Amino acid sequence: MPMDWDEFKSKKQGGGMGPPQIKLPEFRMPNMKLTGVLFVVIATALWLLSGIYTVGPDEQGIVLRYGALNRVTSSGLNYHIPFPIERVYTPKVTEVKRIELGFRTIDPGPPARYSDKPNESRMLTGDENMVDLDVIVQYRISDAAKYLFNVRNPQTTVGHAAEAAIRQVVGSKPIDEALTTGKGIIQQQTLSEIQKILNLYDSGLTVVAVQLQDVTPPKEVIQSFKDVASAREDKNRLINEAQGYRNQIIPEARGNLAQILRRAEAYRETKIRQARGDANRFLATVREYKKAPEITRKRLYLEMMKEVMPTVDKFILGGKNGSGVLPILSLRGDALKEIKK
Amino acid sequence: MTQAPPIPKKTIALLAVVVLGVILMNAVFFTVREDQQVVVTRLGKPVRIIRDAGLSYRTPFIEQLTFFDKRLLEYDSNPTEIITQDKKSLVVDNFSRWRIVDPLKFLRTVRDEVGAQARLDDIIYSELRLELGRKQLVDIVAHDRAELMAQVTKESNQKAKKYGIDIVDVRLKRADLPQENLKAIFGRMQAERNRIARQYRSEGREEAQKIRAETDRERDILLAGAYEQEQKIKGEGDAKSIEITAQAFGQDSEFYAFNKSLEVYRASLKNKTTLMLQADGEFLKYLKTSSGKK
Repeated sequence: MPMDWDEFKSKKQGGGMGPPQIKLPEFRMPNMKLTGVLFVVIATALWLLSGIYTVGPDEQGIVLRYGALNRVTSSGLNYHIPFPIERVYTPKVTEVKRIELGFRTIDPGPPARYSDKPNESRMLTGDENMVDLDVIVQYRISDAAKYLFNVRNPQTTVGHAAEAAIRQVVGSKPIDEALTTGKGIIQQQTLSEIQKILNLYDSGLTVVAVQLQDVTPPKEVIQSFKDVASAREDKNRLINEAQGYRNQIIPEARGNLAQILRRAEAYRETKIRQARGDANRFLATVREYKKAPEITRKRLYLEMMKEVMPTVDKFILGGKNGSGVLPILSLRGDALKEIKK
Repeated sequence: MTQAPPIPKKTIALLAVVVLGVILMNAVFFTVREDQQVVVTRLGKPVRIIRDAGLSYRTPFIEQLTFFDKRLLEYDSNPTEIITQDKKSLVVDNFSRWRIVDPLKFLRTVRDEVGAQARLDDIIYSELRLELGRKQLVDIVAHDRAELMAQVTKESNQKAKKYGIDIVDVRLKRADLPQENLKAIFGRMQAERNRIARQYRSEGREEAQKIRAETDRERDILLAGAYEQEQKIKGEGDAKSIEITAQAFGQDSEFYAFNKSLEVYRASLKNKTTLMLQADGEFLKYLKTSSGKK
């Protein structure tokens, strides 16, 4: 090339010295050369420029020189020696990918539509029961170089690891725990189990979350499980009813108690007051009686007789030496007749 | 004038050199990517293995390159039925992850990945059947799964060595009961649920009865206590009343008796009472004589 360049230079100089009429043929030679050189220069420039690349904020740049990992670049404008010496890969490292087990989203909607995968979702529990379980596993790239070069088909690998992990974890739990209280623990243990597998593979992947979607008994037996739930309700209902009975009876009894006691107190007070009344009346009477006992007795006696006599049947018997029952005076004729007989 | 001038010979020669150079360079130099490994064969005979990524060279046209993957590779078996030690059958679906660690051995024994898959099928399946056949179903499902798989991995790996393969992991993706057994399982699950439901209901009745009995007991005790206190209070009233009256009537008990008797007569002698009066009695003594003398 340098030879060419010198040649070009000398030719140009020569051309400049010549007269204007032979300008045309003289001009063509340097023009050709210039075009060739320009082409080479532009091609080289373009080639060099092709090394410019951007790494997005969610990406990481992995630069390979002759196929070997050379450096990792972060987001922004970067440069690599152009192909075929260096190549760059920019996987998205912040993007969270997801895997579905037991179902697949056909259409994220709304309304979302899913298809069921009973083979994936049905699994054995530790007490040899079956349970249907849908899971979502979310993961992202934590090491771009490992992600690119350590494992073929990372997505499938996460899927396999997740299936193995969830079955291992659920297989160690009784069905009731899987259906009710154990969901959090299952999620946690599954996550760490998947991560353990992915670390073993040196996959450069991190599990972000494991979410249990639906945990249900197999539909063949779901009726029995519902019956258990309603039995639990029945139990609560029976207890509540008894509690209701208690809440009614005990206050009522307390009310009765209070009523009985108040009545007894009333009786006591009545008795005492009556006694006091009687006593006071008697004392008052006695006071006066003592002033003239003889005449008072008589008067009281006769007053009583006066009250009693008009209402009773009376027979007057003879004197103490009389012949027993000889009526002298009867206020009632029929009584007299009877006695005559 | 319009005809293009002939291209200088120098330029043509230069172009030829460049093109030839590129072809030759391409034949000599080659790159091995991070996820690749290469076996170099000379006329069909392996001479070198390149496992490090980077730029390499070869004798052009004589030496051939065979590329292999260096990454962790997939193996996914079909579900197979296995009999456990307690004679239960279990459908297992396992997968494995493996890599080519000795591409030369690999090339010689199994040639390519398709050949390797077939060998892995044999190795892993037989190991799996052997190990699982020694265990009871419940142990496989619930307890020893991890250790079991570690054991299968170890044994399989041992056998895979001679193919230049490293088995990193063997795992049960699924271990489920065969379709024919499901009905029995469901029957058992249903029976168990019914038992639990019955238990809940009778527990409910038990609790309820306890509460009712306790309630009745408390009520009865409460009312008995009420009776006790009632009698006590009434007794107090009676006692006090007796005390008060006795004190008062004690002032003149004879007059009290008299007075009270009058009261009683008054109350008891009503119509239909027949009274026999002694003619010479106290009451009638004035009826005979005004003097009252007999």
